[in-house]
Amino acid sequence: MRLNILIGGEAGQGINKISEIVSEILIDRGYYVFNYRDYPSLIRGGHNFNVLSISDKPIFSTESKLDGIVSMDRLTLIKHKKFLKKEGFIIEPGKFVNLGINLNIALAGALIRILGIERNFLMKRVKDEFNNKKSLNAAEKGFESEKFKYSLKKLKNKLILKNGSESLSLGFIDSKADLYFAYPMTPATPVMHFLAEKQLENDFMVFQPENEIAVVNAALGASFSGARVMVGTSGGGYDLMTETLSMQGMTEIPLVVYLASRPGPGTGVPTYTSQGDLDIALRGGHGEFPRIVIAPGTPLQARQKINEAFYLSEKFGILSVVLSDKHLGESDFSFFPEKINPLKIKVKRKVPGEAIVKAISYESNSLNATTEDAKVTKENADKRLLKYESIKKEIEKFESIKIYGKKNSKNLIIGWGSTTGAIIDAISNLDAKFLQILYLKPLSNEIRTEMQKAKNLILVENNLTGQLGRIIREKTGIKIKNRILKYDGRPFESDLLKKEIEKCLKKN
Amino acid sequence: MSEKKLRVDTANPITWCPGCTNFEILKSVKLAINNSIKKGEKLTNFAMVTGIGCHGKIIDYMNISGICSLHGRPLPTALGMKIGNPNLKVLVFEGDGDVYAEGISHFIHAGKFNSDITLLVHDNQSFSLTTGQSTPTSQKGYKSKAEPLGKFESPLNPIKLALASNATFVARTNARNFEFTAEIIEKAIKHKGFSFVEIIQDCIVFNKDINNRDKKMYKLPNKKRTKLEAMKLAEIYDYNLGKAKIPLGIFYEEKRKTLEELWPQLHNLQKKKINWKQMKK
Repeated sequence: MRLNILIGGEAGQGINKISEIVSEILIDRGYYVFNYRDYPSLIRGGHNFNVLSISDKPIFSTESKLDGIVSMDRLTLIKHKKFLKKEGFIIEPGKFVNLGINLNIALAGALIRILGIERNFLMKRVKDEFNNKKSLNAAEKGFESEKFKYSLKKLKNKLILKNGSESLSLGFIDSKADLYFAYPMTPATPVMHFLAEKQLENDFMVFQPENEIAVVNAALGASFSGARVMVGTSGGGYDLMTETLSMQGMTEIPLVVYLASRPGPGTGVPTYTSQGDLDIALRGGHGEFPRIVIAPGTPLQARQKINEAFYLSEKFGILSVVLSDKHLGESDFSFFPEKINPLKIKVKRKVPGEAIVKAISYESNSLNATTEDAKVTKENADKRLLKYESIKKEIEKFESIKIYGKKNSKNLIIGWGSTTGAIIDAISNLDAKFLQILYLKPLSNEIRTEMQKAKNLILVENNLTGQLGRIIREKTGIKIKNRILKYDGRPFESDLLKKEIEKCLKKN
Repeated sequence: MSEKKLRVDTANPITWCPGCTNFEILKSVKLAINNSIKKGEKLTNFAMVTGIGCHGKIIDYMNISGICSLHGRPLPTALGMKIGNPNLKVLVFEGDGDVYAEGISHFIHAGKFNSDITLLVHDNQSFSLTTGQSTPTSQKGYKSKAEPLGKFESPLNPIKLALASNATFVARTNARNFEFTAEIIEKAIKHKGFSFVEIIQDCIVFNKDINNRDKKMYKLPNKKRTKLEAMKLAEIYDYNLGKAKIPLGIFYEEKRKTLEELWPQLHNLQKKKINWKQMKK
């Protein structure tokens, strides 16, 4: 069983609340949900929509064909009716009068009724959040306005619902990190908002300096003083930071960067998704210095990988970039809560106040003084390279790749980051195996082994040029000819991706 | 000052031009720090940040903790350093190119944030380490290899900008008078909040027209002033050549809650005299 329901309306009408109420009730009833948010860069008006997918089996993506549409504005039907299945349902606001701001609650009520969930679950959820007559009345009216079409009986699953940003922020808290510096930029901002709300109860601080250059320099300064520090930004802000990332390479002050990418170049399509920033994550900053780039594909991975990033940065005095995007950051995923055993991040190095310590952006000698000496210049460069070797070894402890699907299949799909969910769903009934690459720097040697075992290789990326494909070719010498690339700012829909994969497999 | 070795000295060879007034600034800073240490401050509690330019070399000549940052970025680095441990005494060294050109946005915001840090600007009105191009404070008409036609516009007045940016301590000194400079630096360190000290200095190789201005300089009387009064005094000297007098001393000082006092997390670290590392979570 799988349903895809589109909920659309103007910005400010409260469509997110509909998704939230319905998904929370469904989670409580043991159903898997995935919620995709699509919104333009404006605050009121325009056209926003969510696609809420519901299933009794794990799902991590949306599909293109709709089982139902909840429409709060004129544009919703005009834009999306063509994707509605023949037997699909439509919920419209026409029949409700004078509900004011509670209209969205009525529509949530109508949807709950169509799904065949009992009234009391709806009323309890609405009461928990809005304990007022008008909201409860709206929920009641909505519920009464429809007949049940499905019958979603309670399942035994004990799931939780989280988006990537929230989960990644929990990884920051797990790591007992001290400071988060950021300047507002979509789609990194939800992490800033989430952490800002949690700062006092968890003894850390969220600070917004005047621009991204100040953000990253303040972060290095604070880390030098002994704090565990992270910065967050999107591509444009990251560009501004890169000179200082390079300085990190020289000074070896621990630093974790959360890079949430969106379509570029330029201001691009700011509220949409893209994997176009892998190249800058890997190479942004002048000179040659080691770094780590990790790309989680699910909220749970985001939580764990942030913790690993803190651990590695502190242990090796290295830059860790955790790469995500709007799709992972802002989509809601359902999953079983896992027991988290975060790595302890201990600041063992000497810091100012305890001893005299220096960090010099020039090449420096054993006395921590600036030098232009040829021998020292070479020795320091060699040391930076050598450090990368120990990092590679350390990373063997962590999950740097992950395999899904049919383990013995000769058809290998390769991807990374937020396409993970759509790929898992797309291959669920195919003779295929999916290799998710979590550590993009350093790249695991197992990638080559997996590729050599396969007969057909297909690269899936949410970008124009297949950036992962390039680094794999650099690492293994193998060129992946079959590429499924999407670069319209929208994530893959698993049913359409499945067709594309099938097409590739037929060709070979 | 006696010539005996100070704890802040290092053995690194000094590579400033012989006769450069940076030697005087270095002396002033050491004297100010030494005096603070005599009054009970711990040497390890000092931390410095420098930018890139002639001034930046000072990090190699002082035995205190610090970061040699990137060009233009010492202020945010120092702000972070202070947020990273609000119990540190943070000194920021920048050149006029560093702070008034590349890092100008940070200068304005430093006044607004009012973090308890001290900014010392080595202002010789030229980019000397890159062979003498003009900076925002170079005088009108200044010719360099990059601008052989001369600089067309009038210079920026950092004292006025600092006042407009709500800096809570604004002063100007003369590098050649190291004892007076040390006295002002000591007061700037003691001031709670963002303190800005503009140190006027000669460049004996490039912008020579600005050298030997001592006769034009005079000391302002020590007194409390309104911002308007301070602004008027700041206008006396516009950084151009000419007969205008150059007032020195503290133009303006006010008490305002610091960033560290306002943020509960930082206030807590200050109260407990610990850094983040020592905080139990």
